[in-house]
Amino acid sequence: MKPQSVAAGRPTPGAIARLAPALGVVLLTVIGPLLVQHGIDEPVTAPYAPPEPGALLGGDQLGRDVLSRLFAGGRDLLATSAAVAVAVTGISAVLGALSALRRTIRSVVERTADLLILLPAVLAIMVIGTAWPVTGRLPVVIAAIVLGTPFAVRVAGAAADPVARSGFVEVAEASGGGALSIAFREILPNIRGTLVTLFGLRFVEAVYVVATAGFLEIGVQPPAADWAVMIRENAEGIMLNPWGAVAPGLAIAVLSISVHAAADLITPTPRTRAVNHL
Amino acid sequence: MSRNRAITVAGLLAWRLLTLLVLLALIFVAIDVLPSDAARVALDSDASEADLRTQRTQLGLDQPVALRFLRWIGGLSTGNLGLSARGRPIVDIVAGPFPNTVAVGGLVLLLTVSVAVAIGAATVTAGKRLGQLVSVMSTAVLALPEFVVATAFIVVFALSLDVLPASTVTTERGAPASAAMLILPVCALALRQIGWNTRIVRAALAEQLRTPHVDSAILDGLPRHRVLFRYLLPGAVPTIAAGVATSVGMAFGGVVAVEAIFNFPGMGAVLIDAIRNRDAPVVAAVVALTGSVITVVLVFSDLLRANTTGGAA
Repeated sequence: MKPQSVAAGRPTPGAIARLAPALGVVLLTVIGPLLVQHGIDEPVTAPYAPPEPGALLGGDQLGRDVLSRLFAGGRDLLATSAAVAVAVTGISAVLGALSALRRTIRSVVERTADLLILLPAVLAIMVIGTAWPVTGRLPVVIAAIVLGTPFAVRVAGAAADPVARSGFVEVAEASGGGALSIAFREILPNIRGTLVTLFGLRFVEAVYVVATAGFLEIGVQPPAADWAVMIRENAEGIMLNPWGAVAPGLAIAVLSISVHAAADLITPTPRTRAVNHL
Repeated sequence: MSRNRAITVAGLLAWRLLTLLVLLALIFVAIDVLPSDAARVALDSDASEADLRTQRTQLGLDQPVALRFLRWIGGLSTGNLGLSARGRPIVDIVAGPFPNTVAVGGLVLLLTVSVAVAIGAATVTAGKRLGQLVSVMSTAVLALPEFVVATAFIVVFALSLDVLPASTVTTERGAPASAAMLILPVCALALRQIGWNTRIVRAALAEQLRTPHVDSAILDGLPRHRVLFRYLLPGAVPTIAAGVATSVGMAFGGVVAVEAIFNFPGMGAVLIDAIRNRDAPVVAAVVALTGSVITVVLVFSDLLRANTTGGAA
C-alpha cells in the first residue's frame, strides 16, 4: 500500500455537511449565553412550567429557565471532551507511530490494552474519584485519557504499519534518523487522515464518558448547568415540561451523532482493519 | 499440532489471569495510597487517636500493603470479598444485587448477539439500500449514551404509551418483582452494543466473503442461506466473539447510569453508595468482580477463537 492512499482522508463536502449540526450546537453554546435574559440559577417560572413567552423552553424543577440553562450547560462538556480527545489523539498518534517502528513499544501497548479492557471507564472514574480527594472534572479527564489511549494507539498503529514498511522510512532509518524524528517527520504526516477520524471518534467517546459521569454527578455538582445533570434533574417532571430533559438529551444526541457520522465518512482505511485486531 | 495448540491456549489463559492480578494489584495500591483512610471513614470525625488505632487494627490496616494484598487476593479466590469500611462483610452487601446485574447483563448480551448477527446476515444477503440504512442507524445508536436512550424510552414507553414500568419494584428477597421491569433497562443498554456489534458482524462477514473457499462455494451455485450458515457465519465467529467480549466492559458504565434511572437493585446502586460513603474496600471488590466477569468472557472468546482457527489467536 502506498503511503499516499493512507493519507487520503481530506474532509469532503459530505463530511462537512454531516458535521454541520454539531457545529450548530457548538455555536449555540458559544453565542447562546449572550442572547438569554435569565441567569442559570434564577427561578422565573413555576416548577416544570411549560413553555411561555418569557421562557421559550419552559422551566425546570426549580422554575429556572430551561433555555438559559441549555445554552450554559454544554460549555464544560464540550471543553472537557475536546481536551480529552486532543490528548488521546496526540498521545496515541506518537505512540502508534513509534509502535509501528519498534516492536517493544508495540508489545507494551498491547499488554496495557489487555489490562485496561478489564476496567470499564466509568468504573475507573469512580475509583479515581474515591481514591483522590480531587473535585471537579480532573478525575474524569484523567480516567478518560488513560482508558481511551491504548485502543486509539492500536488504530493509529494499524495505519502507521504500512507507512513504516514503505521504502522512504527504511531509507530514513538507514541514514540514522531516530525513531522519534522518523515518527514526526515521515509517519505522522502520512496518517493524518486516520488521525482526523480518530480525533472525531475519540471526541464522541469522550462526550459519552464525561456525560455519563456527569449524569452520576461525578465531576459536576448541582446547581451547575450541565446537560447530563439537567436530564437527571428534569426526568421526573417530563410529563409537565418535557423540554427540561428532552432539550439537553437532543443536544447530546445531535452533537455525538453528527461528529460520529462525519468521522465515519473521512475514515481512510477500511474499518475492518482496526476491528479485526480487537 | 494439537499439543502445540494446547500450549498456546494454556499460555493465553495464564496471560489473562496474570493481567487480572496486575489490575487488582494496581487498584489495591491506588486505593491504599489515598488519603481517605477506611478506618477514618468508619468512625465519627471527633473520634480519638486511640479509637482510630483500634479501628485500624480491627480492619487489619496496620499491616504491610503486600501482606494485605495477598490476603485480599486469597480471600477473593475463595469468595471472601473482605469487610466494608463499616465492618460489614462485602459478600452480604453484594449477594442480592450481583445476580440482578448479571441477569440484566446476560440478557443484554443475548439480545445484542442475536440482533447484531441477524442484522449483519440480512445486510449480506439483501441489497445495498439496507446496508446504507444499517450503517447510518448503527452509527447513530453507537454515539448515544445509554442514559439518554433510557430517558427517551421512559418518555415513550412508560409515560406516553404507558405499556412498561419506568421504575423497578423490589421483592423482599431483593429481586425485581416482575420480568416486565427488566425490559426497558435491558433494551436501553443493548441499543449501543447492538450498534457496535452490528458493525463488527458486518466487517467479519465481509472479510469471509473475500475468502477463496466462500468464493468457490458461491460459484458452485450453493443456495445463499447455505453459504451464509455453512461458510460465512462459522468463519466470522471468532471476530464476533471478540466484539461481544469488548461489549461487556463497554456496557458496564451504562449499567450504573441505567440502574440509577430505573431504580434497579443492582451493582450500580452498590457502587454509587460506596462512592458516596468513600467506602474503598467495596469499590475495590466491585472492580474485582467486574474484572473477573470480563476475564471469564474474554477467556471464553479466546477459547472459541482457538477452536476455530487452530490456536492462531
